[in-house]
Amino acid sequence: MNDEMRRAAAAYVLSLGDDEMILSHRDSEWTGHAPILEEDIAFANIALDEMGHALLWYRLHAELVGEDPEAHPDRLVYRRKAAEFRNTPLVEGPKGDWARSILRQFLFDSAELVRLAELSRSAHAPLAAVARKILTEERYHDRHTRAWVRRLGLGTDESRRRMQRALEELWPLVPDLMGQRPEEALLVAAGICPPADVVQESWEADVIPTVQAAGLRVPTESVPSGFNRFHHTPDLDELLAELQSVARLEPSEAVW
Amino acid sequence: MTDSQLPRYEIFIVERPGRPPTYAGSVHASDDELALLNARDVFARRPDCHGLWAIRAESISSRTAEETLSQAEETDPARREPYLVFGKLGHKGVHTFLGAVEAAGPDEAVGRGRALYRQGVVLWWVAPERCRVASAAEDAGPMFEPAKGKPFRDQAFYPVETLMRQLRRARNHKQERS
Repeated sequence: MNDEMRRAAAAYVLSLGDDEMILSHRDSEWTGHAPILEEDIAFANIALDEMGHALLWYRLHAELVGEDPEAHPDRLVYRRKAAEFRNTPLVEGPKGDWARSILRQFLFDSAELVRLAELSRSAHAPLAAVARKILTEERYHDRHTRAWVRRLGLGTDESRRRMQRALEELWPLVPDLMGQRPEEALLVAAGICPPADVVQESWEADVIPTVQAAGLRVPTESVPSGFNRFHHTPDLDELLAELQSVARLEPSEAVW
Repeated sequence: MTDSQLPRYEIFIVERPGRPPTYAGSVHASDDELALLNARDVFARRPDCHGLWAIRAESISSRTAEETLSQAEETDPARREPYLVFGKLGHKGVHTFLGAVEAAGPDEAVGRGRALYRQGVVLWWVAPERCRVASAAEDAGPMFEPAKGKPFRDQAFYPVETLMRQLRRARNHKQERS
């Protein structure tokens, strides 16, 4: 792998890790607050899984950029400013109500399933290995959140109304979740990652009928949010202020 | 006030292949599928698990060993169906699946269970087999595979408290000096 390819792969892997890390933090905000005890435990589990996935991607990133795989993930999480994060804005918004968090998790998990299945055949073997490892857990997340989407969509008037509102609020953030990343063209040509349109096509073929079967209307027009992996909403600043608050107490690098 | 709790399910877990399901505890869930999913999260995230059963609590009939002595037994053959029989072996034991019997009702199921299965049961549970939902063999991958190789760690494993104390001490020290 030449330097240019290595830099592209590192950028791609960083965006995968940041998606997982930021979503993990938002999910963890439900701990102690979910609608029922069982779901509190389930969602905390999902949050922990996503954090574990972020760690796997960050270690791979360390390998690609020649950093220490133990210290690098902490630095990425605790020492970067919002503008340096490469997550998609879908994952950084507030947790909102239960409908919004469930729907966001479903949109994300279902996209991950498609992407990871492709990545598990990546020409870069270490990346393929991480994708395969994560895929097993994502299959479970997907099953869990898919079950909830159906139940909330087909539940009471209120649960349907809240799901529909969440869908309308989150839909404008989907293009960036699915969109092509700057480094992708090079990686696709080398068989390292799948083309964005292939991922999007399989995702839509799965998600649109699922959402409709849950009695929800997929927005036909939605104005793109204007935010992306390089231009974050103020929500990310607020999230990082909390996530990094303890680490900031001690400017030198503590080992967690 | 109305009860807003979701229905309760009793959960049984297969800890090792070939072993009978044993009682793990309860979860609340809106329906069978979510009962199994919740059971996975509550009881099968760390220890090895090879299968889960969930039975709506209201479908389970419970009889103490003493009660089984005086119960009348239903014998209407037309109403016979398979019942699952669980026994709590000793006061400190947990309910363990003993086997299935054909019975027309819970009392007959307990009676047949008592005749067929081991002594020493202090509390019987029986439930019609149709009321049980079980994790499918093809679900074992996504449901139970991720737990493998993940050790259970006590909170003392993580040095967070010690670390926070060190940070606080360093900060106080710095403030004293300035």
